[in-house]
Amino acid sequence: MPNSTNTTVRKDTRTQEMNKFMVIVNRLGIYVVVALLLIAGQCIRPDKFFTFSNINSVLQAVSLTGICAVGLAFIVYSANFNDMSLPMTIAFSGMVSVQLLQYNFVLSILGGIAAGLLMGAVNGFVIGKLRAHPIIWSMAFNFVMSGIVRWAWAGNQIYPDTITENAATAEQFYALARTYLGKSIGLQIPLMVVVMLVMFVIGHVILTYTSFGNQLKIIGSNYDVGRLSGINCARVVFIAYMINALCAAICGIFLASLSKVGAYYNGEGYDFECVTAVLLGGMTLAGGKGNMVGVFGGVLTVGLLTNVMNLLGIPTFNQYLVQGVVFLFIVWINTNSARKLGKS
Amino acid sequence: MKRIVALLLALMMLLSMAACGGQETTSENGSNTQEGGSTNAGGETSTEGGATEEGGETTPAGELPDYSTVMSTDNQPLFPEMVIKDFPERPEDPEALGEDEAGHWYDMEHAGWDAVKSSNLPTSPGDGPEGKEIYVIVHGDHPWTTAYTNGINKACETFGIDVTVLSPNWDVNLQNQQIDQAINAQPDAIILIPVNAESAVQQFRKITEAGIPAFGSNLLTTSAAMEYMIAWTGPDDWGQMRELAREMADAMNKEGGVCYLTHNPGGSAYFARMYGPRTELAEYAPNIKTLDFQSPGFDAAACKQVVSDWITKYGDELNAIFCADDSAQLIGTIDAIKEAGREDILVYAAGNSKTGQDYVKAGDVECINYQSAEGDAAAAVLTVAKWFNGEEVPPMAYMAPVMINAENVDSFYPCQW
Repeated sequence: MPNSTNTTVRKDTRTQEMNKFMVIVNRLGIYVVVALLLIAGQCIRPDKFFTFSNINSVLQAVSLTGICAVGLAFIVYSANFNDMSLPMTIAFSGMVSVQLLQYNFVLSILGGIAAGLLMGAVNGFVIGKLRAHPIIWSMAFNFVMSGIVRWAWAGNQIYPDTITENAATAEQFYALARTYLGKSIGLQIPLMVVVMLVMFVIGHVILTYTSFGNQLKIIGSNYDVGRLSGINCARVVFIAYMINALCAAICGIFLASLSKVGAYYNGEGYDFECVTAVLLGGMTLAGGKGNMVGVFGGVLTVGLLTNVMNLLGIPTFNQYLVQGVVFLFIVWINTNSARKLGKS
Repeated sequence: MKRIVALLLALMMLLSMAACGGQETTSENGSNTQEGGSTNAGGETSTEGGATEEGGETTPAGELPDYSTVMSTDNQPLFPEMVIKDFPERPEDPEALGEDEAGHWYDMEHAGWDAVKSSNLPTSPGDGPEGKEIYVIVHGDHPWTTAYTNGINKACETFGIDVTVLSPNWDVNLQNQQIDQAINAQPDAIILIPVNAESAVQQFRKITEAGIPAFGSNLLTTSAAMEYMIAWTGPDDWGQMRELAREMADAMNKEGGVCYLTHNPGGSAYFARMYGPRTELAEYAPNIKTLDFQSPGFDAAACKQVVSDWITKYGDELNAIFCADDSAQLIGTIDAIKEAGREDILVYAAGNSKTGQDYVKAGDVECINYQSAEGDAAAAVLTVAKWFNGEEVPPMAYMAPVMINAENVDSFYPCQW
């Protein structure tokens, strides 16, 4: 029997002090890397790096990735890993859009978006309602759509100016990716960049300030908790896929306009490129973590890194190496800071 | 709502199943032609060539029908002029030479120079091509391949050959399976575009050991693979790039700086379309300096960023850009140049897609090279037909290089792909 009179009070020796560096890293996240890249760029090319045209070029280069990343962030946030059908959603939207140019420009844009949304609806229903595995289903769906698109257009790519007899409509379509805003005030900001920024803002508002965003966070963190809390999980996941598809469709239309062709290979590589940007931005495949501000930082990092390496004249082979090392470093520092602060 | 979604899903599945079967169309001679085909299922296309009859008379064996008047989609002769190249003397140790010296790439540019034909190669039946059955196994799906398949079908129709086309969609393992499938069918010949040069040796050897005559097309393989094929036909990628480089050097007055957007690293096109012009310029115009070369792939936005960065970095030093592709790479290049207001930069590109030709016509690009996909296919079929006929075929024959510039671009419309 313990003697209560001899009880000694044991002191809690566990440290309560947080590593200040890790707190900063965790708060600023990917923007530490963005800042480092900006400093590096300025050191390499002090006369040319911080020019409007160079920064504009970086933003323009990542605008399509950024538009897609906004949508994909909802998928990652909901713990559905990645949308492997992203390439065909982009390609299909672009091809439908180009095909419908034979009627008129507005119908072409609406048709392209509708085509993407149709794919999103199928994904959302099968993954949200039927609970199919998101990776396996979306990969299979990508193959199915790949076959359909090849069959429908007999393996050919389609050119806007041969689809429509009206040359002005084709020119209008080409101009989509080549429209610049702010010329009157001496700026030439590409429409694609503006669309990307607007979508990031909208994405941030939806993810952070709406009940849908909160529900998505709960589902992403623990699906069963969400379900038992009365959340209509199927509906929430369905909406997440529709948002993702909308973003991919917009990207697909811009991409078809930029490359002046509707082709089944147009979206190749976007699935991994976008998920890289999303993960660099602090989201995790486990879901429920991160935010849209971080994703924007991830997109910026991809663009700035390429820009700095090009300015340095680093050959392609070495660029792959540097990219890999930098991305590993970012993932490590994200994980490490979260672990040290007890957030993971 | 759920019912509508379920209905759409079912419709898509139905469509995909139909896609695996391919789309049936009827060709001019009344035969069934499948186009497109699902790649993943190893899309199969076939043409019943049927007997070629002119004026009610069947073409006699030993005499090929007149193929000189058959035209490709772009109104050029379907069967291109072919060139048999002489191999220059091989340097003792190519590796010891610098990358800017042509000799360094000798084994790649002149692959097949030391090929000794296998003694197991089948002998020609000598009874003509009519009624023969052949398999064509391409490398993968691409609009170029669709045009190539069109060329195969047209050429086979010309000679009355029945053809089955298989596509492995860039998958070596699937291509190996398709080779087995073709061997099991015991056709009269197989034309193969290997997915990559390394696997080609095993593939051609397997076909030859099965007693089936093998013919190589398009992709230049190694000498080891050439031993097991009757003949190879295809574009002279190195030669064309050299000619394109000379055009560029002349326009630059043999001075200035040039940057290269390369093909995907590692493939034969990567070496031919970067080191072809570089080694040529080193000899023809040594004052032209290579500023940089990058491989951003075939994404217009990525290519645009690279070119914009070059313009930022090199400024007036950058006088010309050489693109390994005349589609996405060219679009990115031209957009970046126009955005920077640097229309003084000369642009040259390999390939002849509609995009490239439109840029040449608009004056944005100085010159591209003619690379007929249909002609490439027709050259292979013609070689097979001649071999069936008992004629001697050269072990290697290249399509004669043709340049497309502002003066002649109109004669290459409508484009093949």
